[in-house]
Amino acid sequence: MPLPATPPPAAPNGSALDRRSFLRSTAAFAGLSALAASLAPLRELKDYTTPEQFLQKYYKELTPEEMKKVLERISNEVEHQYGIRPHVRDLKPMDGVEFVYALNLTRCIGCRKCVHACVAENNQSRSPEIQYIRVLKMPHGSMDVEKGNHLYDDKEVPDKGFFYMPVQCQQCKNPPCVKVCPVNATWQEKDGITVIDYDWCIGCRYCEAACPYWARRFNFTKPEIPADRINPEMSYLGNRPRKQGVMEKCHFCIQRTRVGKYPACLEVCPVGARKFGNILDPESEISYILRTKRIFIQLKEKMGTIPRFCYYFDK
Amino acid sequence: MDDHPLPSTASSARRTGYVLGATTLLFFGLGALFLGDLWGHPPARQQIALVDKSFLETTPWRQNYNDLVRAKEDLSDFDCYGCHDKKKPPVLRFDANNILVVPEEHKNIVMGHGTHNRNNLCYNCHNESNLETLQIRDGHEVKFSESSQLCGSCHGPTIRDWEAGAHGRTSGYWDRSKGDMRRLYCANCHNPHAPRIPTRVPAPGPHALRTPAHPDSHSETTP
Repeated sequence: MPLPATPPPAAPNGSALDRRSFLRSTAAFAGLSALAASLAPLRELKDYTTPEQFLQKYYKELTPEEMKKVLERISNEVEHQYGIRPHVRDLKPMDGVEFVYALNLTRCIGCRKCVHACVAENNQSRSPEIQYIRVLKMPHGSMDVEKGNHLYDDKEVPDKGFFYMPVQCQQCKNPPCVKVCPVNATWQEKDGITVIDYDWCIGCRYCEAACPYWARRFNFTKPEIPADRINPEMSYLGNRPRKQGVMEKCHFCIQRTRVGKYPACLEVCPVGARKFGNILDPESEISYILRTKRIFIQLKEKMGTIPRFCYYFDK
Repeated sequence: MDDHPLPSTASSARRTGYVLGATTLLFFGLGALFLGDLWGHPPARQQIALVDKSFLETTPWRQNYNDLVRAKEDLSDFDCYGCHDKKKPPVLRFDANNILVVPEEHKNIVMGHGTHNRNNLCYNCHNESNLETLQIRDGHEVKFSESSQLCGSCHGPTIRDWEAGAHGRTSGYWDRSKGDMRRLYCANCHNPHAPRIPTRVPAPGPHALRTPAHPDSHSETTP
């Protein structure tokens, strides 16, 4: 195929361009600048993936050295973004430990302190709000969550004729969210906590749809957290800051519970309605509760999810 | 491969020129739209106020006797014989309905222990022969620093749960090999004279992301 047009010989000594090549380069320049101008929305792209993050291996395939580098990268990112040097760890499940949570419906007064302690502990977005716990205000005499209202705006709680039922991730033994994840970004660990790798999540929100408890939250926008409210005690699968477009949910405060502490929602509860512990230890308070209390074991038990979060009554 | 007669090079070049020109114009148009904000920006999201830090407090709302001693607070409320006479136990007065009249000196005390005024007698818990101690109904004297024992003498199932860690607030470590579980005592949460936990102001509820919350549209809001 012949060339479309043989370029005319350049002007001798390059002293002057001929008309045709001048027009051609002007047009090419105009075309390229138009292309650049039309890419203007890219200027607003801030939260992009760094090459290290893009090339990062799957969580379960990371060697300890690689994990060290990943944690270093996360620390740098947090420091760059919030001006705070965090303490990021990758905490593994303990042997002989399976966590179970129990919530005393006789005691809960619906003050929502757990909701906000959770937000503060787990570096959730403040605006728009991401909250792992929803406190349902339910009329007495029914356990039908469809009758619950989580937007109650009472001056004083508890309100007469109602009880309050906080709902959060139930850490199911048969978790539907894990089954639907197309990229295995969420899985159940041996201590019973279903975790999410925020660097592996593609944001398809299948898990959100699969969860019967509305426990999963999606970062529709870039999370906003004031720098002075960042909790610097972080863990990789837990409360490190998330990006836009990933899922998150309650993880039983991995950064606390895997070093032996109680979760934040439990410590803040003013009436001691929340109980947490190792079900494999017969001496733990959670084993005592399961042995002796009247327990409403499974919320939405027809779903067959086998929650590790149970509700109980004192009377 | 090029067996077909090609259109003349001149017209092919012209066509390329048209296509390139049109693309350039399109890009310019898009650029003008984006840079000139001809569509305008979507309205800014409503900023949500940060929650008051008092809702994040983990300290108990009451101090029991031991806390007061530890904090070296004013213990004059427990110095009964500053006013009372050691030899004469104070006499209780009742009104026409047989309800205890709280004397003027103790008017900060609201009697509300038990329903229907059934627990209507100071000496059900206080020791009338030594006001600086408490007394279980079987006659045992209990110090103020060990008041939980007294509570447990009536509230058996509750003290049993408390001993197992199942009643009341705990903090610290669930794993006792890593650290201690801190636990509170009865009087850290319950006022002994009116033990029912008072109502309180709840923390703000979730804010809807898109629309202001409508009373009966909570199913449409985003968490």
